[in-house]
Amino acid sequence: MNNIRRDITEDGICVLTFDRPGSSANIFDRATLQELGAHIDQIGTARGLVVTSAKDSIFVAGADLHSIKTMSPADLGDFIRLGQDVFNKIAALRIPSVAAIHGAAVGGGFEIGLACDYRIATPDRATKLGLPETQLGIIPAWGGSTRLPRLIGVPKALEMILGGKTVGARHALKLGMINEVVSREYLLSAAFEWIGKGKHRNRLSHSAPVNAVLDKLVAPKARADVMKRTQGHYPAVLKALEVVIKGASDWRESESLARERAAVSELIGLDSTRNLLRLFFLQERAKKLRFTPRPISEIPALEGAAPAVLPGDEIGRAAVIGAGVMGSGIAQWLSARGVRTIVRDIDATRVGAGMANISKLYADSVKHRVFTSNEARAGFERVYPAPGEVSLRQSGLVIEAAVEKMAIKKTIFQRLDELTDEQAILATNTSALSITELASATRHPERVIGIHFFNPVHKMQLVEVVRGRQTAPAVIQQTLRFVQKIGKLPVLVKDSPGFLVNRILLPYMLEAGVLFEAGASIEEIDAAMVAFGMPMGPLRLIDEVGVDIAEDVAATLSMAFPERMRVPQVLSKLIAAGWLGKKSGKGFYLHEKGSKSEPRVNPEVEVFRSGKARFTPEELQRRMVLLMVNESARCLEEEIVEEPADIDFAMVMGTGFAPFRGGPLRYADQLGAPQVASQLSLLAEKIGPYFEPCALLKAINRRPFYED
Amino acid sequence: MNNRLVIVDGVRTPFCRAGSELAALAADELGRIAVNALLTRTGLDPALIDEVIFGCVAQPMESANIARVIALRAGIPESVPAVTVHRNCASGFEAITTAYERLATDRGSVFVVGGTESMSQIPMLFKAATAQKFAALAKSKSTRAKLSALAAFRPADFEPRIGLKLGLADPVSGLNMGETAELLAREFAISRQEQDAFALRSHQRALAGHKKLEEEICAVYAAKTISRDNGPRSEQTLSILAGLRPVFDKHGTVTAGNSSQITDGAAALLVMGESRAHELGFKPLGVLIDYAYAGCDPARMGLGPVFAINKLENRSGLSVGQADIVEINEAFAAQVLAVQQRLPEPIPDEKLNVNGGAIALGHPVGTTGARLVLSALKELQRRDGRRALVSACVGGGQGAALWLERAQS
Repeated sequence: MNNIRRDITEDGICVLTFDRPGSSANIFDRATLQELGAHIDQIGTARGLVVTSAKDSIFVAGADLHSIKTMSPADLGDFIRLGQDVFNKIAALRIPSVAAIHGAAVGGGFEIGLACDYRIATPDRATKLGLPETQLGIIPAWGGSTRLPRLIGVPKALEMILGGKTVGARHALKLGMINEVVSREYLLSAAFEWIGKGKHRNRLSHSAPVNAVLDKLVAPKARADVMKRTQGHYPAVLKALEVVIKGASDWRESESLARERAAVSELIGLDSTRNLLRLFFLQERAKKLRFTPRPISEIPALEGAAPAVLPGDEIGRAAVIGAGVMGSGIAQWLSARGVRTIVRDIDATRVGAGMANISKLYADSVKHRVFTSNEARAGFERVYPAPGEVSLRQSGLVIEAAVEKMAIKKTIFQRLDELTDEQAILATNTSALSITELASATRHPERVIGIHFFNPVHKMQLVEVVRGRQTAPAVIQQTLRFVQKIGKLPVLVKDSPGFLVNRILLPYMLEAGVLFEAGASIEEIDAAMVAFGMPMGPLRLIDEVGVDIAEDVAATLSMAFPERMRVPQVLSKLIAAGWLGKKSGKGFYLHEKGSKSEPRVNPEVEVFRSGKARFTPEELQRRMVLLMVNESARCLEEEIVEEPADIDFAMVMGTGFAPFRGGPLRYADQLGAPQVASQLSLLAEKIGPYFEPCALLKAINRRPFYED
Repeated sequence: MNNRLVIVDGVRTPFCRAGSELAALAADELGRIAVNALLTRTGLDPALIDEVIFGCVAQPMESANIARVIALRAGIPESVPAVTVHRNCASGFEAITTAYERLATDRGSVFVVGGTESMSQIPMLFKAATAQKFAALAKSKSTRAKLSALAAFRPADFEPRIGLKLGLADPVSGLNMGETAELLAREFAISRQEQDAFALRSHQRALAGHKKLEEEICAVYAAKTISRDNGPRSEQTLSILAGLRPVFDKHGTVTAGNSSQITDGAAALLVMGESRAHELGFKPLGVLIDYAYAGCDPARMGLGPVFAINKLENRSGLSVGQADIVEINEAFAAQVLAVQQRLPEPIPDEKLNVNGGAIALGHPVGTTGARLVLSALKELQRRDGRRALVSACVGGGQGAALWLERAQS
């Protein structure tokens, strides 16, 4: 009984302060819920209840997902009911109650607030409110799916719950999720004032009769939207929609709460939910990933308890070489995360274009409420444009993002020897060239490393941190820490052609071209993969990336792996025709500038097709997906990364590989080892040797990639 | 004095006619861009700066002590103080000489100095009587009181007072700056033709020198990239100039064409104690040898350089003839020509304002001093000369003059 502190003020108000010992976060596990229940039972003659938190950045971070992972369905059912019962007790109190929120109040952390009469929150950046459960394959089941629609109306509640969104306090106030935004210092005194207002009278302001009408209007469209968005792969979203709509057209809260419980029990057994939960844990792992070199003494700071400041934290200034799309995208991200960043390009017009791109990214971020206009302005002002060579001795980290030509990069790195401080980390954003070879051009190869961001930088959370053969352990650790500090999720990979993500993705994109040439239509190919769960089809992806860029990466990789990566001719034919994809307005698709609708297929590409074969969607999926599985297994074989989870995590975060399937290796486990190997062998026989399964897959009695 | 003030490096935004390409940028934004570029070019650790000193004549209402706003927005640590200085058209000089005085009294050794002005954004104002009526309206609570407060307004209340016009008038003599130039033209018998020829020369030199001027310019990355001064006119001719009407006196000779342009722009310089610069491994552009400010008749403020140069000669023993480069700010052609008449020695044409002056490039009042020092030192370096004399007249009846020298390498 020590997760919650209980104080009674002179005025007889009971204040419950969540303060989980030895942790920076509060969570709801069984013990905490029981403790909370006991406090509510003993509330006695108190004339009001305030729940709050003692932590700096967390109010309550929701249910303890680690314990959920190991619970049996029956245990889970009990756990959900326990939470509902305790929150129901709060909702049933005859005295007024207030949730005084500072820090993240998500999932159960927000649902306890929904059980109170009033919610007030601080305007701080740490304060986030919302119900992200659907992102994890479940639905808000501690009253969230029932009470939020009654508080703010069905349409807004659906947006919050189906989107799994979290919002800041000011936005939450606008949505009606909270009653007031209050400075942290005045949070409690303001809460006491709300207690003084008495019970909230019109809790049923958005109740059944109104909603019954609304549902007729809202529900069909919402359902269609969800289906279109999820291809039916995310049952939690549909379930949430159903529970919210049924609950909102029914007076009885208890019925709706029962539907919440039933939905979670049903969802938790699904593979897709388990995969989404795993993905969540992998993200948490990436946030804390450390590189532990042997011997460990090389980084003494890492021994024992994690110190407040780690190597990598001190990097407050950086420089980006090259102001193209990637360079300017990286500079924007760094500057937005508080890093003062020089953007250097020898070509002054490219600096101009890069600055315009940065400015646009900030303008968009204001439009999408990521930043206030003041924050965006401050971020933009952390960018230092440099059209020409300048001293880089203030930069703790230099990230080169110039054109993908080894000779040019080598020249740049040789100059960096002269321009930078000796302690600076020299990184390259190359997506394919060898870090080790590039490092050899410098005096200190041990400080050269790859930091491979994905395009578009502000949307892709994954970053490949690539260790060259000579990269120093301390540099790896500093780089990991820096990547985490700027809010990206690192995966540590060995220097090898294409590193991890592009290497696995490329055979899939090439196969899409091969299938097109053999006779499959653009629509068939892309639709098959969207149905599989990819965010967009492979040919559409080639258009987005740029046909020339895709071919460039393909050429590099086909040199490294000539026996299994060949570039289909359709790519060079498109390039010859000047159809480079989205940027030139034409590729496999026709891209109209500024058009919001989906692009139409470019009929002129048909002339590049030689075959007339027909394929079922399953055949298409099998050929494209199994090539990714095979290449993933090869990467594991070659120890590009340490474990299968690294690959699955990177593919989901870096390419949008169907998250509910858990990644290519998890998918292989679900198919079963013999299935994968035999299907690949079959394809190798029928289509060509590039389908030949790798040794790891072929091994007899191979165990699944995962134990759980 | 053994620890002299050196100018390490400097940079300025392009100078653009008021209402043109830079019009949307406030003075603090222009100053920020110049300091941002200065830090990038020099690679200086901003934590080493002891103070930021900026000149600005018309500070935006929302950026009081604009130097502090610029410093913070350019990423200079909060612990570094900043001050804004004002000596009208010599404010840019004042920033440099203030740093000199800080150094001489041992109050720091590394300074970011400069000037900034958005003449596009100088606001229009209401008369004090109108402002009182607005205050009364704001205070009134009832509809009736509001109506009666509204009824007090008269059409004349809404005639704006144009800030720019007010700023360019001298409250003591009652003349505006153009009228002081007309007075000098009359008294020194400077003809319209002479003034127009001098104005044309300014444009021609600025155009011929634009590659050189580019070296001191940092681009402004707004909706599009702005990297060139837009004041110099390649189509300018004597006959076009002769066709312009006098602005200040129907029978006079001072026109928009032979006066300085009203312009937006900022300049920033990194200045240090000489020993500190060497310690930090910088190779300075030049040294500030000495300087003087002198007062004169506000109605003849254009003669200010004469008084300042004389005063400075008495202090330093340096005379005009010893300069390899002379910059006299071109507030008005008439005024520069009058100064030349009054100086004890003539200034050779090949040494005076060699890459054009404010008639072509423009005169963002708070910035000009810093720009003149930067341009003079860069030209001294190009010519491998030794000394430069830089001077300007100052509204209100003052002159400023600085002697600069190439730094020994």
